[in-house]
Amino acid sequence: MYSKKKNEQERNTKTNSINKIALRIKNHFQKNEMKFAWYLLIPVLSFFLILNVIPTLWMIGLSFYKYSLISAAGPKFVGIKNFIDILSNNVIWNSFSKTFLFVLMGVGIQTILGILLGFLFWNSDRLPGRRFALTFLFTPMIIAPVAAGTYFKLIYDPTLGIGNYFIKSFFGLVVNFLGDASYAFFSVLLVDIWMWTPFMILMTLAALGSVPEAELEAAEVDNLPWLKRLRYVILPHSKFIIMLGILLRTIESFKTMDLIYTMTSGGPGNATELIAIKLFREAFASFNMGESAALALITLLSAIAFTSIYLFILQYKEKKV
Amino acid sequence: MAIIRIEKLRKEFKEVVAVNDLTLDFEDSKITCLLGPSGCGKTTLLRMIAGLEKMTSGNIYFNDIKINDLPPRKRNVGMVFQYPVVYRGIDVYHNIELPLLKEGLSSKERKKRIYDVAEMVGIENSLKKNINQLDNATKQFVAVAREIARQPEILLFDEPITNVDANSKLQFKHAFKELTKQLKQTIIYVTHDQTEAMSFADKIALMNDGKIIQYDSPRKLYNEPETTFGGWFLGNPGMNFITQPCQKEDGQFKIKSDQFARTVILKKRRNIKGKVKIGIRPEYIKVSNEKLPYGIKSEIKRKSITIGGQYLLTIQRGDIIVKAKIPHKKGLGLSKNIWVEFPLDRITVFDNGNRIKEKLQYRE
Repeated sequence: MYSKKKNEQERNTKTNSINKIALRIKNHFQKNEMKFAWYLLIPVLSFFLILNVIPTLWMIGLSFYKYSLISAAGPKFVGIKNFIDILSNNVIWNSFSKTFLFVLMGVGIQTILGILLGFLFWNSDRLPGRRFALTFLFTPMIIAPVAAGTYFKLIYDPTLGIGNYFIKSFFGLVVNFLGDASYAFFSVLLVDIWMWTPFMILMTLAALGSVPEAELEAAEVDNLPWLKRLRYVILPHSKFIIMLGILLRTIESFKTMDLIYTMTSGGPGNATELIAIKLFREAFASFNMGESAALALITLLSAIAFTSIYLFILQYKEKKV
Repeated sequence: MAIIRIEKLRKEFKEVVAVNDLTLDFEDSKITCLLGPSGCGKTTLLRMIAGLEKMTSGNIYFNDIKINDLPPRKRNVGMVFQYPVVYRGIDVYHNIELPLLKEGLSSKERKKRIYDVAEMVGIENSLKKNINQLDNATKQFVAVAREIARQPEILLFDEPITNVDANSKLQFKHAFKELTKQLKQTIIYVTHDQTEAMSFADKIALMNDGKIIQYDSPRKLYNEPETTFGGWFLGNPGMNFITQPCQKEDGQFKIKSDQFARTVILKKRRNIKGKVKIGIRPEYIKVSNEKLPYGIKSEIKRKSITIGGQYLLTIQRGDIIVKAKIPHKKGLGLSKNIWVEFPLDRITVFDNGNRIKEKLQYRE
């Protein structure tokens, strides 16, 4: 009996002291709210600083130097020479134009297909096989780009590929999808579309899910024509999520490297050499770190410009509404 | 404009029966309120009439034409939702105009109709304003105007003022009352607010658990509730109920209770199962400092003031507590010596939850 009481007393004393410490911490942070906020931010800020800010600043600095990893000479300050070299290099301009074409066509087609398929699956709970179809459609998105690249490289193969097997059976032709410069770009673009259309379907479904049911019902009761429903009910609610999807895809598309590198390594010639591949080759094949840093900076600025124009249009339109 | 008839209408959501085999005629060109607590099936019923919800079984007729499978757009109904539904990105004028574009009206006719309706609803000064600039209450007025402008045969309102602030609610109630005087449509108005139902409706369908408990005029519903639920649900606070034993003596049912100064009887009633419930509304209870002829000495336990300046008294009569509502009277404080009387003509007697049509009488 006595020991029970003693135990209870000890427990109470412990709880009280824990409570006192907790209270002291609470009071301390209540007095220094700003400090507390900063303490909470420290982990994320450190990560941001170490993984983003320092490498970016390093890259900016490096872009003004001539520095090769395979040369015995150390880094040499050359001013804006790297940038001049890049901007006067036709191959790089070609890479840029290919990248823009890849982004515009890829994201454009993914958006159109994504929206169409999104509408098809919207409110389609009773559609037979819906779950299977959606799982099937979303699979490409979760495959690693390297795996998808390898997979399609096999499909496209002129001698062993199943794609060519069917083409040969139906049309008696053999198409060298990845080896022929006139097909290679569109062949890799097709894989990118296959991979990322599900993402746009997902975004469209999320966007359409944000349209209030009552507004759709009101439009139905009011007998609004379909286009008017789209313009005045569906789009005002869903456009932001769809636009966000396009924005994310644009940024990602700009950086496409692994998928194409696995399939063509940028070839044949430089038919599929997008800017990210050019950058990779410059840095890790030619080891020109200065020039590749300058190219990376230009790519970064282009992507920022691209998305800024896009966001500006979006905000401008919103203000007008 | 249209007579709506529902026949054995039923809606089940898995195991839940939301609307339970309802049969009812909604009167032509009248306002019927569907009143009941949340989850009683009133909105589901309204949505089935609009065509937004498929019925599990039963039929709906508009002017004797079965419309079970007709899509909402072909039913010629207008509907105002709980949440103010407006079309985004356009001004008020175009919001009202949008559904009219398919009606084959000339722009002049459309303009006249829009201005007439806007004036009727009281939003004529907001016609040029963008919809995004409006507060919730005005948006709801726009939604009402849009539906009225279409001139459908039936207008359905699904708790339209639930999502507007208190001041706008009053404004809306007043405007709606004025508006309905000018409308000729058959209107069904869903609400859980009895004051709304009491002030707008020509008839009220009181609902509970997917069933219509009573379908009557507001006055009758209030004064002659068919069930104890009706007595309890209507009024603020609802009816007082006192359960009393009832004995048959000399062909009459006698209620001997210390709640009455004398024995009370039910002369005509043939059968009662042991006990009855006596219901009386708080405002019908007589309370006085002076002796009342049929009063009983009681004690005021609590006194509070209600909206409108009336006193709400909590009175103890023996071991029973009742609520009484009285006009402001001086000198009626918390006291043990007050006289309380239940006027027999104001009492409703319930047997097994259902109203007995006969009134109580004092035994001679």
